[in-house]
Amino acid sequence: MNALDPVLNTAPDNELRRGALAAIPVLLGFVPFALVLGAQASQHQLGPGAVALMTGLNFGGGSEFAAIELWSSPPAILVIVAMTLLVNSRHLLMGATLAPYLRHLPLPKALGALFFMCDESWAMGLADARQRGRLSLRYFIGVALCLWVTWVGFTSLGALAGPMLGDLHGYGFDMAFAAVFLVLLRGMWKGVQAALPWLFSLITAALFYLLIPGGWYVLAGTVAGLVGAYLWARP
Amino acid sequence: MIDIATLTTILGMAMVTYLTRALGFLLLRNRTLGPQLTQVLDAAPGCVLIAVIAPKFVSGHPADLIALALTVYAASRYSILPVVLFAIVVTGALRTLLP
Repeated sequence: MNALDPVLNTAPDNELRRGALAAIPVLLGFVPFALVLGAQASQHQLGPGAVALMTGLNFGGGSEFAAIELWSSPPAILVIVAMTLLVNSRHLLMGATLAPYLRHLPLPKALGALFFMCDESWAMGLADARQRGRLSLRYFIGVALCLWVTWVGFTSLGALAGPMLGDLHGYGFDMAFAAVFLVLLRGMWKGVQAALPWLFSLITAALFYLLIPGGWYVLAGTVAGLVGAYLWARP
Repeated sequence: MIDIATLTTILGMAMVTYLTRALGFLLLRNRTLGPQLTQVLDAAPGCVLIAVIAPKFVSGHPADLIALALTVYAASRYSILPVVLFAIVVTGALRTLLP
């Protein structure tokens, strides 16, 4: 396939590679995070097979940490599924923000790509799509597949290695995600006025995190930010 | 072997998670939003990102807070890979220095 994409003017294979390269900084945070999740799962009697199945089919780190935390033998199915829904409810909004950039894709392709939408692949895909006016599917898949393979591989490895890993939290790897997200936020910066909803979201999420147990803080912060954006929006 | 309760839980998680991924897109796919809703949706990505990392802002550990402040500063000027490397090293170093 050497044909140039008529819109992007690059060979499709380059788009996959561009995505894979863009994923590298995120992988630095993914690997230790995945090992920790796998190790915690092994402490809750979940073997590498079950961990691979969970992280491969669910592919949402926050909800998986919450599930493992709640895991008992046998697991409380409804509680864990409900918590998963709560933690991942932000995907609704993320999918909505991608919608205008997916219009050029046939529905099955778009629905297939959305399976791989996690916080990081979404944020990078959206940032790229905003520059180009539409999502480059191959770029997105390049990013997302790298993340998916790494996530499934290293969570399983963590479940195998289990307690041998010791405490990875002492190191600074968990700050990698904050760093990625902060750089992406800078890319979205359009002045103080436009960033006020973010401040709303930050304050509300922080308060919920401190005061309300469970996974409510992301949803609460996001909703508060959107209410702020709605109030400030000029018709 | 994976027992049936574990399998059911994992499949249940996978189902609701995919639902959240597809539904927002499906609802907005064929719609043109008014200007006010467009502005709201424009603010949404930033609101999600900042809410996800909000716990870092209130961790209460001096080492983490200083590291976060330095990371915010770095993120305002440099590109993604150097900022990530800087954040990991600075956080690790500060946690060792200020236990």
